[in-house]
Amino acid sequence: MVNTAPHISVRHLNVWFGNQQALKDINIDIPRHRITAIVGPSGCGKTTLLRSLNRLVELESKVRVAGEVLLESQNIYGPTVDITEVRTRIGLLAQKPFPLPMSIYNNIAYGPRIHGLKSMKMDDLVRTHLQAVELWDEVKERLKAPATGLSVGQQQRLCLARALAVKPDVLLCDESTSALDPISARAIERLLANLKQNYTIVMVTHDLGQARRLADHVIFLWLGAVVEQGDAPQIFEYPREDRTRAYWTGEIG
Amino acid sequence: MNRNQRRHLEERLFKFIMRAALFVTLGMLAAILFTVVRKGIGAMSWSMISEASTGGSYLGEAEGGILNAILGSLYLAGGATVLALLFGLPVALYLHTYMGQSKLADYIRLVFDILWGIPSIVYGVFGFTLMLLIGMRASLLAGILTLALVELPILVRTIDEVLRMVPPELSEITYALGTTRLELMGILTRQSLPGLVTAILLAFGRGIGDAAAVLFTAGYTDSMPDSLMRPVASLPLSIFFQLSSPFPSVQARAYASALVLTILVLVISLLTRLSMRTLSKHVVR
Repeated sequence: MVNTAPHISVRHLNVWFGNQQALKDINIDIPRHRITAIVGPSGCGKTTLLRSLNRLVELESKVRVAGEVLLESQNIYGPTVDITEVRTRIGLLAQKPFPLPMSIYNNIAYGPRIHGLKSMKMDDLVRTHLQAVELWDEVKERLKAPATGLSVGQQQRLCLARALAVKPDVLLCDESTSALDPISARAIERLLANLKQNYTIVMVTHDLGQARRLADHVIFLWLGAVVEQGDAPQIFEYPREDRTRAYWTGEIG
Repeated sequence: MNRNQRRHLEERLFKFIMRAALFVTLGMLAAILFTVVRKGIGAMSWSMISEASTGGSYLGEAEGGILNAILGSLYLAGGATVLALLFGLPVALYLHTYMGQSKLADYIRLVFDILWGIPSIVYGVFGFTLMLLIGMRASLLAGILTLALVELPILVRTIDEVLRMVPPELSEITYALGTTRLELMGILTRQSLPGLVTAILLAFGRGIGDAAAVLFTAGYTDSMPDSLMRPVASLPLSIFFQLSSPFPSVQARAYASALVLTILVLVISLLTRLSMRTLSKHVVR
């Protein structure tokens, strides 16, 4: 039985930073086990929208959020919501790789450990997740070494494994390949393309080429509002809005 | 002289001024070290640092060494630093993690900046007043408490600055793993470990060198420190009391104290420097 209901639904989401409105009445549906790309020019609110999905946006000063983000029909901004539980279900792969200040092993083990996994199973868990991001063979001899000793591309794969180790069902990627060299970037893209079998992936990207390569569903943002959203083939080939077409062709951007 | 020549001349002039300032500063430091070492080395002997004073300093019949002051200073500054850290680290972490950039947090930072600037003799007077109020005598404990007050603002503000240097992305990805704020603080502490150690060293250095705060509160004695409730000697006061003596043999003990104090601070700085590599092994840049 395939569950076709949206994994995440955003309803009338508005975000202000001080008096500046960053997101205006956002209504989107994010399909399950697909890659959804949020695209648009710099400053259009892509990252703010992404950060609204795991409430990281609340870390900003003077921020105000109104509206609903429904994760499996539960509003994550609801008063009784446990924010740590929400963030456990929604992983994040940031723009630049940021390992935790600990060993390679502990970078993976940290998340499961704080969520109460017993250490007996930890070795297996670390190995499986490092294998899942194709890092195991490169680091198996130096699991106790500092994670900062890895190359940037390796670090980003480690960060991906770390995010997956807490068993989220959604993965948010904030321009996760923009700090990487083309080869490392391709490695991350390949991993994401495989991961969508088991995870709902939402990615913010600048790079229309990347969106075309990876995305199943596309949301085009312009000045804090959604211009158009739809399945990738449709929105890329037959955009309904003139602004979308103009952005695709590079007339605006 | 055209405009460009003048600009280059200006640069040379200012470079000269800066270099001159650097040489004067380094020269002063060298002169201080030289004086302390030259005066101290003559007074230095094994018994000076391995025995307590036998008393009689004021009569010029100084016998024994300054071990009582060395140990007293280590206990005072060590105890004060531990105590100040016990309060300072939570305060700084709370300021950083829960209060962030709020107005109130900035006012609190301002208060600590002012406290940092207050002369330590004022802390000494405060401690003394408090002791009179509760009927406490000059003692190691009273000295530790007062020195802890002197060190607290240094620790809070330095740790606060160290925490601010942690990249915000690190906090974000940590939160994104579903951590509580307390667990985030653990990560922040690991990331800022080298900075924390530097802050602790700074506070300890201030504590061990301070004479005014312990003058009324810890008192002075020729005996070895043996109880929290009894007075203790300290190196700064050992210098202060014995240098003002008319007897050269007593003065020599002051110079020896100054040398030991300098060496103590130097050794601790060097050890910290050496441990930096290990401490920053995991630090994310």
